[in-house]
Amino acid sequence: MLEIKDLHSAVEGIEILKGISLTIKKGEVHAVMGPNGSGKSTLAKVLSGHPAYEVTSGEVLFQGKNLLDLSAEERSLVGIFMGFQYPVEIPGVNNAEFLRMAYNARLLNEGKDEVDPLDFDDILQEKMDMLGMEDKYKERSCNDGFSGGEKKKNEILQMAILKPVLSILDETDSGLDIDALRIVADGVNKLNGDDNALILITHYQRLLDHIKPDFVHVISGGKIIKSGGKELAHELEAQGYDWLTTAN
Amino acid sequence: MSSVIEESKNGAESAVLALHKQFLDADQPSADLLPFNKKALDIFESLKFPHRKHEMYTFVNTKVLADTSFSLKTENSVQNSFVKQHIYAGCERSHLTFVDGALCPELSDATALGTSVKIGSLIEAVKDESFKNILQKSIEQENDVFASINSAFMKQGVMVKVSRDKQVEVPLQILNVSSGGDSGPVMTVPRAYIHLEPSSELKLIVKYVGDGSNYFVNSVQDMVIEDNATLTHIQIEADSKDAWNFSKNRIFLKRDSKYLGYQTVSGTRLVRNHNEVWLNESGAEMELNGVSVLEEDEQSHQFVRVHHEVENCTSHQYFKNIINDRARASFDGTVVVNKGAQLTNSDQLINNLMLSDEGHADCKPNLMIFADDVKCAHGATVGQLDDDQLFYLKTRGLSESVAKEILTQSFARSIVQKIPFEPVVKELDETLLKKLVANNE
Ligand SMILES: Nc1ncnc2c1ncn2[C@@H]1O[C@H](COP(=O)(O)OP(=O)(O)OP(=O)(O)O)[C@@H](O)[C@H]1O
Ligand SMILES: [Mg+2]
Repeated sequence: MLEIKDLHSAVEGIEILKGISLTIKKGEVHAVMGPNGSGKSTLAKVLSGHPAYEVTSGEVLFQGKNLLDLSAEERSLVGIFMGFQYPVEIPGVNNAEFLRMAYNARLLNEGKDEVDPLDFDDILQEKMDMLGMEDKYKERSCNDGFSGGEKKKNEILQMAILKPVLSILDETDSGLDIDALRIVADGVNKLNGDDNALILITHYQRLLDHIKPDFVHVISGGKIIKSGGKELAHELEAQGYDWLTTAN
Repeated sequence: MSSVIEESKNGAESAVLALHKQFLDADQPSADLLPFNKKALDIFESLKFPHRKHEMYTFVNTKVLADTSFSLKTENSVQNSFVKQHIYAGCERSHLTFVDGALCPELSDATALGTSVKIGSLIEAVKDESFKNILQKSIEQENDVFASINSAFMKQGVMVKVSRDKQVEVPLQILNVSSGGDSGPVMTVPRAYIHLEPSSELKLIVKYVGDGSNYFVNSVQDMVIEDNATLTHIQIEADSKDAWNFSKNRIFLKRDSKYLGYQTVSGTRLVRNHNEVWLNESGAEMELNGVSVLEEDEQSHQFVRVHHEVENCTSHQYFKNIINDRARASFDGTVVVNKGAQLTNSDQLINNLMLSDEGHADCKPNLMIFADDVKCAHGATVGQLDDDQLFYLKTRGLSESVAKEILTQSFARSIVQKIPFEPVVKELDETLLKKLVANNE
């Protein structure tokens, strides 16, 4: 589904990703871990098409097509979703209306008609119930004044509405309390079927207890320095990253 | 080059004097208002036309206005159907229509207001000694040359008085229609006096529209809000594209009274709002909100003076401008907290959103504090659309132009949504949005 080949990326002329290669198949869950500042969010932003992150070399194929040719909105429309580490506050934009517009953009792209607002309300209600979100999050401005955990839930709500093919969740677990983490993880598990794939960026094993990864990768200094199965996450939790970075 | 400007300035002043002569000779000014007209002309002569160095017009280029020789409009007519489309839902039986500054009874209907609101002309009103004094004082103390021109040519005007303890449920709309100048530019001088007696309440909507072009609306509104009374004042400037609209609002607040002002500018050649507010007695409160959406060469200028005369008063000012193409906006606002005005609570916030490189925004929020126990804040920002917000919306599948539209609209919306009159909110959502969408394409 996704093939990243020797990806290099720079921001403001400084190289941050220094040759990332990663292949992801349908139905797989990949955890990406690594120390602060190692380039995890950068990878997520490059994949979702942030204009500030220049791809200096390498290739990314999504479902066989060159992803790097697509704009951010086109990537979303073909089924890529990024859950932001720091979701952006958008004062004055009603959350429910925003979600409906995003949903409609998807429908229009598929050549379908826009959804009736009342029907959309049912869809939205169902997803919000699943995530245990109160009604007030419909009326409030998108992420505006939301707590850290509320913002993360709102990201997963968007994921649930947009039903992406590939989701990249950047530290969705940070900021969630234990109960919220379980609810969100259950939601993600429900959304992630055999035809989808998931990249989970995280620092903590506790997320991986709920969403079981098939592979764990460690990024350090803009490169994947180690890949393994889910047991690698346990080792990292116990020993930190030092043993890896110094060994390199 | 500078001598030409100098010359034209003198020319402009003598043009006003000549026009006034003609006004006295041919326009049948009201005998009761005539002494005021003459006094105002003296004030005009002492104030002189503003130039760029004039502290009240630092950001406003009045050269074209001063160089234009206006005539006064005497014959006026406008279709009932035109008026109807500008009367808001809920004001069908509570509106006064002024065409070129003159009240048109056949286009007005105030039956829903009942007896709690007294409506009359200023000619009648000045027969009352106390009102006469108020008018006299306001003319003598005039500091704005354009307002002095209004007074010099004032022929009728309207007085709206809400009786003590009456909370008027139906909103009152004043519609100012300018029919335009067919054979050269015309000036009109709408004038209103609004008086709320103690513990009364009124929601007033003043809308400016054009049924023609080539005109200058130069209005003055005096508002007296007595103890514990509340005036909500919504001012909508939706004039013809080539119009000038200058308005001066003078607001006097007594004990525990409240003024809530909302001013929207949807774009005209040149708009200037001069708001002067006196918080004269303890517990008085005022809030002034403004939003302008400008494109091409449109201009919108806000000039605000708030006087905290006594303790325990609050004043809030929130202004937003959206500026595209070569449009210009300015905010020049001073809050004066006088000695003894302890426990004043005051803030000013001006945000400008620039959608082009050629647009221009000037901001001068200013505080003059002569008391020591006060809470005052002010700030101004000038910025573009936020890249992170744009990216966020795009990652949800929204196109660049839709994302820009959403963010631009949300910028204006925080002010528009505050307007406590749904039909205006709806109208603005549409008109402003239309303008924003057109801007993005
Ligand atoms: N827009 C930017 N401008 C300048 N430097 C940037 C920018 N984005 C990222 N960087 C730098 O790139 C490096 C990698 O950042 P990145 O956000 O990808 O780290 P991360 O692995 O996600 O870290 P964390 O675990 O703290 O979230 C850091 O040194 C960061 O300062
Ligand atoms: Mg990160």
